[in-house]
Amino acid sequence: MPDVPVLDLVGSGARVVFRRELKAYFLSPIAYVFGALFLAVLLWQAAAATIVDGAPASMQPFFAYLPWLFLLFLPGLTMRLWAEERKLGTIELLLTFPVEARQVVMGKFLAVMVFLGCMLLLTLGLPLTLGAYGRLDWPATLGSYLASLLYASSYVAVGMFWSSMTRDQIIALLASIVSLALLFLLGVPQIVEGMFAGAPAWLQDLLNGLSPYKYFQSIARGVFDTRDFVYFACFCGFFLYANTLVLQVRRQQKG
Amino acid sequence: MKSQPTACRARAAGYVLPVALHVLLVLLVLAQVVYLASRYRLRIDLTADQEATTTASTRGLLDRLGSRLVLEAYFSPKEDLPVQWRAAREVADNFLDELVQLGAGKVVLRRFDPNADKDTADKARRLGIEAQDLRSSSATSLSVDLHWQGVRLLLGNGKQEVVSMFVPTSPAMAEALLTPKLKEVMTAKRPRVGFMEWPAPAIGRQQPGGVGWQFVRGLDAVKRRYDLQNFKDVDGALLPDDLDKLVLFRPNELTDRQKYVIDQFLVRGGTLVVFADAAEYAIGPQRLFTSIPLAIDANGSQQQFVRQLEHYGIEWRPLLVADLAPPAMRAASASAPFEYFAVPATTTTGVRTLVGKNYPYFFHACNHDWRDDADELARGVDGKVDAALAAQYREAFAPGMPADDFLFRAYKKIDRGPGFYWPTSVGLRHRAGGKLDLPSGVEGRVLLWSSPLSLVETAPQRVDPIGRDPLQYSHEYERFLRSMAERLAAAQRVQVPLMAEVRGRFVSYFAGMERPLRPSEAAAVKPGEAAPSPGVPPPDAPQPTVIAEERAMLVEGERAGRVIIVGDSTFLRDDVIRGDYAQVGGPVSGNIGSTFFANLLDWISDDADLVELQSHAPTDRKLTLLDARSGRSADPLEVEQRLRSKTAVLVAVNVVAPCGALLLAGLVVWFVRRNQKREFLLSLDRVTRAAEVAR
Repeated sequence: MPDVPVLDLVGSGARVVFRRELKAYFLSPIAYVFGALFLAVLLWQAAAATIVDGAPASMQPFFAYLPWLFLLFLPGLTMRLWAEERKLGTIELLLTFPVEARQVVMGKFLAVMVFLGCMLLLTLGLPLTLGAYGRLDWPATLGSYLASLLYASSYVAVGMFWSSMTRDQIIALLASIVSLALLFLLGVPQIVEGMFAGAPAWLQDLLNGLSPYKYFQSIARGVFDTRDFVYFACFCGFFLYANTLVLQVRRQQKG
Repeated sequence: MKSQPTACRARAAGYVLPVALHVLLVLLVLAQVVYLASRYRLRIDLTADQEATTTASTRGLLDRLGSRLVLEAYFSPKEDLPVQWRAAREVADNFLDELVQLGAGKVVLRRFDPNADKDTADKARRLGIEAQDLRSSSATSLSVDLHWQGVRLLLGNGKQEVVSMFVPTSPAMAEALLTPKLKEVMTAKRPRVGFMEWPAPAIGRQQPGGVGWQFVRGLDAVKRRYDLQNFKDVDGALLPDDLDKLVLFRPNELTDRQKYVIDQFLVRGGTLVVFADAAEYAIGPQRLFTSIPLAIDANGSQQQFVRQLEHYGIEWRPLLVADLAPPAMRAASASAPFEYFAVPATTTTGVRTLVGKNYPYFFHACNHDWRDDADELARGVDGKVDAALAAQYREAFAPGMPADDFLFRAYKKIDRGPGFYWPTSVGLRHRAGGKLDLPSGVEGRVLLWSSPLSLVETAPQRVDPIGRDPLQYSHEYERFLRSMAERLAAAQRVQVPLMAEVRGRFVSYFAGMERPLRPSEAAAVKPGEAAPSPGVPPPDAPQPTVIAEERAMLVEGERAGRVIIVGDSTFLRDDVIRGDYAQVGGPVSGNIGSTFFANLLDWISDDADLVELQSHAPTDRKLTLLDARSGRSADPLEVEQRLRSKTAVLVAVNVVAPCGALLLAGLVVWFVRRNQKREFLLSLDRVTRAAEVAR
């Protein structure tokens, strides 16, 4: 059978890691508490803003709060992914398994994404309520959910990278929050202009173009643009690649 | 020999350069990929209303471009724009680029910066493009700059249109600003539409000539595309042969001569639109409904206009229609209850507001198939459905908006037709027994129907539902509604036609009769003398009257004519469409009415160029937490309380249910894990004890 890189990425090695990580999430009561807290904050804010008689049946407020909550919650979810393995010393064991570093990274990444997907599925009650009392634009709403997953994936990739760089979970958490906040702020043109007042317009545009938030807003409008998908693929790909590189270097150092 | 950490450090240092190079290369490749992806994009608009997609209107117009269209964009540089304007600039730039692409070589975009040189700025000003004084601030300075963002559309034949400020916040807005201009620039000559109007006397305000229909004719969307000319000639001259569209705004005191002019226009193959009313009410600044006498036929008129229309196949019953179905009386927007009838109220928080009240004489046709309600309407007081009656209803009832013509497309999106005020019944001619009875060679259809909960009355017993004493408002309103409900209970369930159309080759209503004389001809005839033959001045007149030659009566035309009759004219009347009564609680037809008129002109002109754009209106997506019956008929304060509690319940359910489910699952997992752990420890304990026993 020819060696197909994509299949290889989610090959048996990745599958084993994926299952192990997912099991760890779903068998940990802490994850449930964490998820419930995330949902409570998000849904409380969003439901109060959307369920208003006479207002349009729209999930816009929900998707406006989501990036802020991702900024606070996702680093918490990713900080332990590598830092804990390093702290407990299980990373040495993991690296001795006959799996590629990229498969381990993909397994962990997909596990976080599935966990997040489940959290987002639990918010479907809100669009269903809006759909029952008004005419919700379902295709655009589902598009926005997909945009949220893509956006979350970029945050997870960054969070995983920082987690792989340190054995201290708090440092990983803080580094993730700071870098993600910076990326988030770069997505708001007014802030870019304020932060880089003297910079030429092309540089401001370039900085603005680096932010996943800009592309999230684009898809969340309900317009699928290949540019946005390519951006997310490249952004996640880069940070997952950097993560793999860190592991490989570490493996070689140990070797 | 090197120590272990030193060896590690050396090995790590050896990785740094290749790894850094590797990362840099990957970054460069990815940046290139993202750049290429932003250049060659594929977009799919998932929104149900296709908000980000250029409509068929724009694409159709560009396809039909006969000569080159130059788009001159007078834009000041983007980097000088304040940040809040940049998003609009991006939308504008994208849309203009899209037009160039869709134009397939026939559309050229030229960009000018009026801030770069004075000549360009002067030219932009001459064209009517307005510069905005905008403050732009940075960390170190605050300046006031001139910003330009206007577009000139210049067609090869020299015709041009200008959008003075092109600041769209969405692609749909960009299209709404530019495409009508494109249509205007491509329209060689504005089609001529004749009209006659009979304004009502103004009550409580100064409006020279009375309250008419001037505002709707003066709307930009109408006057820039149609040449509306008044043909209400005092001397009743026949209409010119090249006029093929005529609109009558509330015909009143029609003379026989005017009826003859209309008849000849129709027989010749013209399209006649009649906005009819059976009763006239002035509203006034304090919203005191005052009845104004209205007579369709002039004093001394021999022919009745109602009979004349019946001759063409239109049955106009000059009666008033009321519709008591709650969805028919509900205003389009909760934030604008003054579309129909609203009264001031104070909320529990002490805020003064307007609350919509059902007023059955103000309503719209609903985009609803009333046959579906046959069982419900045939339900007796005992709760049982009369099957025979239900079957009869299913046979007789029709959808409220049965036609699929583009005129109704935008309205169907909001599930309702234009709002009518004290409308009248206008349908198709029927024989006794209810069978359709159209003249030979004429076909017709009803375009709008009221709901089956309608009443048809000669004159309303009471027009003002709340009276004039503010302390008695509630009491009076209850009495009014009770009286209407009692009358409805006693009446049969019928739908009333509100708009109808007939078309075909008409035979003159005046066939076999003497042609009605023009006033100038009548004045020239001496008392006791016979009328002169048409067009010939009396031979012995003291002062010879010059009377234009008039062609002989056309008894049967060669081309098909068309009559469209709408059972209301008030919704287009200046005071109602302009929003004069918004502060006192309505009625205000506003955009809903004006759009109908603009679309109707397109429809009778068979001009579907802007239909897609006009029906690009977003679907009504507002949330209705309380159903119509419980939400609209009750006391506003009670409704507010119910709304508040329902909102609280829905919010709580949406938050508690998923969080609770997740916590419950977590609890189950915790219990299972604890038991597993306990069992494991017990088994360990057992093994230890067994080992001890064995020892």
